[in-house]
Amino acid sequence: MRRRNFVRSLLISPIAPAVLAEEQKAANTKAIQPPPEARTPVRQFGPTEVPHLPVIACDLAARPAPNYFNKIQFATLQKLGGILQPPLKNNPGAIEAQAPEFLDFLISVSPEDRQKLYLSGLDSLEQQAKDKFQRSFCDLEAQQADAILRPLLVVRPWPEDLPSDPVQNFITQVHEDLRTATMNSREWALAAEKSGRRFSRGSRTSGYYWAPIDPISEG
Amino acid sequence: MPIKTYDVLIVGSGHSGGMAANILTQKGISCLMLNAGPEADYDKDRSIKHAYELPYRGFNKPGRLPHVFQANEFNANQWVDEKEVPYTCPPDAPYNWVRVRLLGGRSLFWARQSFRLSNFEFKAAEIDGTGDSWPISLEDLAPFYSRVERIFRVAGRKEGWPQFPDGDFVDTPYPPDTETIKRVTEIANKRGVQVSKWRSALGKDGLASSINLLLPDALATGKLDIVQNAIVRQISVDKDTGLASGAHFVDRHSGREMHVKARAVVLAAGCLESTRLLLNSNVANSSGVMGHYLVDQMYGVSVVASVPEARDGKAPPGLMGGSAFIPRFRNLKKSDKRNFIKGYCVHINSGGSASPNFFPLYGAELQAKLDSYANSCISGGIFGERVARYENHVRIDDKVTDRWGIPVLHIEARDSENERNLTKDAADTIEEWFHEAGWELICKTDRVNPPGYSIHEVGTCRMGDDPKKSVLNKWSQSHDVKNLFVVDGASFVTCGWQNPTMTILALSMRASEYLAEQMRTNSI
Repeated sequence: MRRRNFVRSLLISPIAPAVLAEEQKAANTKAIQPPPEARTPVRQFGPTEVPHLPVIACDLAARPAPNYFNKIQFATLQKLGGILQPPLKNNPGAIEAQAPEFLDFLISVSPEDRQKLYLSGLDSLEQQAKDKFQRSFCDLEAQQADAILRPLLVVRPWPEDLPSDPVQNFITQVHEDLRTATMNSREWALAAEKSGRRFSRGSRTSGYYWAPIDPISEG
Repeated sequence: MPIKTYDVLIVGSGHSGGMAANILTQKGISCLMLNAGPEADYDKDRSIKHAYELPYRGFNKPGRLPHVFQANEFNANQWVDEKEVPYTCPPDAPYNWVRVRLLGGRSLFWARQSFRLSNFEFKAAEIDGTGDSWPISLEDLAPFYSRVERIFRVAGRKEGWPQFPDGDFVDTPYPPDTETIKRVTEIANKRGVQVSKWRSALGKDGLASSINLLLPDALATGKLDIVQNAIVRQISVDKDTGLASGAHFVDRHSGREMHVKARAVVLAAGCLESTRLLLNSNVANSSGVMGHYLVDQMYGVSVVASVPEARDGKAPPGLMGGSAFIPRFRNLKKSDKRNFIKGYCVHINSGGSASPNFFPLYGAELQAKLDSYANSCISGGIFGERVARYENHVRIDDKVTDRWGIPVLHIEARDSENERNLTKDAADTIEEWFHEAGWELICKTDRVNPPGYSIHEVGTCRMGDDPKKSVLNKWSQSHDVKNLFVVDGASFVTCGWQNPTMTILALSMRASEYLAEQMRTNSI
């Protein structure tokens, strides 16, 4: 408070006219000097150099907080991740790559038919586990899970060839999604870098990204 | 400031629009080109990224571009947004309309396969005993093909086969065939099937687009202006003469309505966009044929085998790798009696790896299989010709409009028994070859992707001599509106099995020279 009063007193003190007179004098002096060089237009409108500040991706600072699937469904999805895409050949598996957590987000923002496929597919696996082994799917032994999963796997000439049976369709899609989410993860890229595998431009895991080109404002 | 006046308005900037601008401006004709989208800056708009850096980890935003199977999160922004410019189709007949509105259009991203149509396509009715022939022949178009091939620097091997016309190719040595390619060639030859090589446009600096091969020369004449983000709503017609007088367009960002005048109008917006514009303008359709005979090629048949001696990384040098291209070999002779008309080409690629979806396995077992089969695979696919049928058509869906209030297209295209029999024959034939070679069949399908997937949609404003049965004459000129030309793929009568780009370019060049001559003599 004392400091603020002091500043205020300066503003209203008799020194002020003297300062103004000095400034006026300086201005008059300037007037008889040669005109300064013209400024570049850029300097008139803003700074010419703006520093680029380092920022980090949110994944480096925080863990995902899955909130779409219920507890049992998410446990089933995690179990599937561990079985279908385990760590292999010094690469992370689905669990290490947090693929189930990512799919929880992805499915939450997906069209309704895809959401239904996942929800009913996860529920179906849980039900089959209970019917056959009287346990939750997430608690099954590897052999027990295999007995449920193997009959659901199909051969597909093209990735778009999806089976008509909804549970087979779910297994087909979740298998591919877990694999993609794992191979496209930061953890996978770091493992690749560590092992000296080349950065491949044409692969799915990296490539030329086209930013939005002259997008239309939604405002 | 006085408004410039233009001789010709060109709508669209892809291969066909670029060629029209190139030809017309070099003959001293002033042109305005309207392009629906912006110019892409390859340095500013494109950067190398890891999938994990993208918001959806490479999956693409769910629900975005459901009909563009080619889309991924890396390239999603290059395609037309289906919500911004939607189209409709029946629930049981999906159509994949794959569009680019950037300056240069799809010429920025095409696969550069460069073939001429043959008289088996131009004179299809005589070969097939049904359908329609073009009003022109290969001989009419050959000089234009040659000039286009020189501009685009097409590499190819001359063969002298009537179903696979040679062109003016740049001299490019092909590497010697590997043992697997030799084996396929031998098996095919034994059956009277001729085997060649891909023909591909080399272009310049890795690009074979209108933006680097056609538009720079046009701009250098000082006779071309290009306006980007100009979405053409309607062709305007002079009430007294019935001739096209210009076009109404809307600024993509602001929605500001504009009108431009011109002595002639050239549509080059891509087959379906040009037809949509004409239908919305209610012009040039006295025949009632506009929108009909939509056709494209069938992609999707796939047969994959593994070469046993190449497994587990044990392929000896010279066994795997390389490719072969087998032009149409079915129904070339009257004696070839099949349960389908027309034909398909086969492309063989050696040395690939198996896809995980080929095996009903998971985890370590799947990985072991993939490792074992890596680089041991040989695959065969086709480009198959669909029959152009009246019932496969587009029309205006007046219940749905795009972001700018322009009515959208309703697209209906279905395959017939002919397509199903053709693709079955293709899959069975490739399987038979691979089986004879002693390779293990991994997968086989005769299923094809939905119509449109090939991004080779043509037809809907077919050319012909009879104004009652066609929209355009043999010069790609409207029968009804003499100063209106459509120079993209809309004029096609049959689609052939060949990538259509060279034909579109040659037709656009031919039509533009005709238009220039008509303007010089004041006939237009």
